[in-house]
Amino acid sequence: MFAARALPRTVPRVARLARAYATEAPASEKLRLSFALPHQSVFANQEIVQVNIPAQTGEMGVLANHVPAVEALKPGLVEIQTGSETKKYFVSSGFASIHPNNSITINAVEGYELEAFDAAAVRANLADAQKAVAGAGSEEEKAEAAIELEVYEALSAALKA
Amino acid sequence: MFRQAARPAVQAARAAAPAARDFSASATQNATLREIEGRLKSVRNIEKITKSMKMIASTKLARAQRAMNTAKVYGESNQELFKNAEASEAEGGKKLYVTISSDSGLCGGIHSGLTKYTKRAIAAEGGDAETGLVVVGDRSRNQLQRSNAQNLRLTFNQIGKQVPTFGDAAAIADTIIKSDVEFDQINIVYNKFVSAISYEPAVFKVFNEQALVNAPNFKAYELEEDVTKDFAEFALANAIYAALVEGHASEISARRNAMDNASKNAGDMIGSLQMQFNRGRQAVITNELIDIITGASAL
Repeated sequence: MFAARALPRTVPRVARLARAYATEAPASEKLRLSFALPHQSVFANQEIVQVNIPAQTGEMGVLANHVPAVEALKPGLVEIQTGSETKKYFVSSGFASIHPNNSITINAVEGYELEAFDAAAVRANLADAQKAVAGAGSEEEKAEAAIELEVYEALSAALKA
Repeated sequence: MFRQAARPAVQAARAAAPAARDFSASATQNATLREIEGRLKSVRNIEKITKSMKMIASTKLARAQRAMNTAKVYGESNQELFKNAEASEAEGGKKLYVTISSDSGLCGGIHSGLTKYTKRAIAAEGGDAETGLVVVGDRSRNQLQRSNAQNLRLTFNQIGKQVPTFGDAAAIADTIIKSDVEFDQINIVYNKFVSAISYEPAVFKVFNEQALVNAPNFKAYELEEDVTKDFAEFALANAIYAALVEGHASEISARRNAMDNASKNAGDMIGSLQMQFNRGRQAVITNELIDIITGASAL
């Protein structure tokens, strides 16, 4: 008699558990980052918590399940928070694509860890670029110097912060 | 034993006989000996050169392969967007082929393989002057100039001496875009690195802005208006970069194998020439001995 009464009670409980699994969003799905440079593959499909990218439209932070987007990058810091540590890379330019499958791909032309930069060299090159922009030269040279100036200004701002 | 009277005559005969022989028989034999010596010297020099070229190529290969692996990851990550958006080639669009070879030779069949592949691909498109062709590297350019002169639009050289940089690829992409070459799709023909001893020509398809906009899943992506065009140009530079670096690695490994084969062949030639030389030298000595002995026995 006990056994007969026990059976019907267990069956509905199992069904409820199955329904609970179906409605809960998978909490272990973290944002996957692929950060590639032509000379080095920094992150290859690694799970991270958050990444901040210097988009042309403004600094933006990307978390898991972000809306898919394609952003052009301006010179600035890419901050990667893996949960246990934060890594900072300075990139010159590139593109970031956030895909619908919860992954983000950053392709940058040049990029290095922020610690690798020498503040004195940055200051010297910044002064050179300022002189080149103000000085004589063809339109193309001035435009190139203006781009250099943008990069160095962003770099010195990142180093100070 | 020797009669006194006969000795002067025999001496004269002995003196005359070897001299006559030197003039006729062993003279040509000596000449062939010198010829063989000359050939031996030159083949030995060639072997030294090919051996050193093989060493240089082996050391360059390690660096080139490392750069290639990074560049491949970089190129593939760039393709993610096109894959996710499921971009596909437009039917009947104008195609532009970019053939990536280099300026230097002594690397086996690298350049002619690319040329053959490009010729076949252009012929498959209809073979008319509509299909554009951009060649990077003098070797393939010289070959394609003869057969597909009407398709040729731009050529680049001075590429391939060192590992290609992104700057090189960006310059090429920039020149193509700035020129008035029209295209709907770019197919990059390059040598794929299959292994350290083999390579094969392959094609990298690059889609332009229009194909990306028409891609089915592209609407899922949020972006500013002019980002599409910039992204397509960036993707072209990335694809050219990946193809350049992989082609460079294939070329170096092909050169190493070619120089390895050449050194082995030179070694074989040296062996057989040495044998010939020794046989010839021994024949000369034997002939001289025969002369002396017959002269002496006639005494």
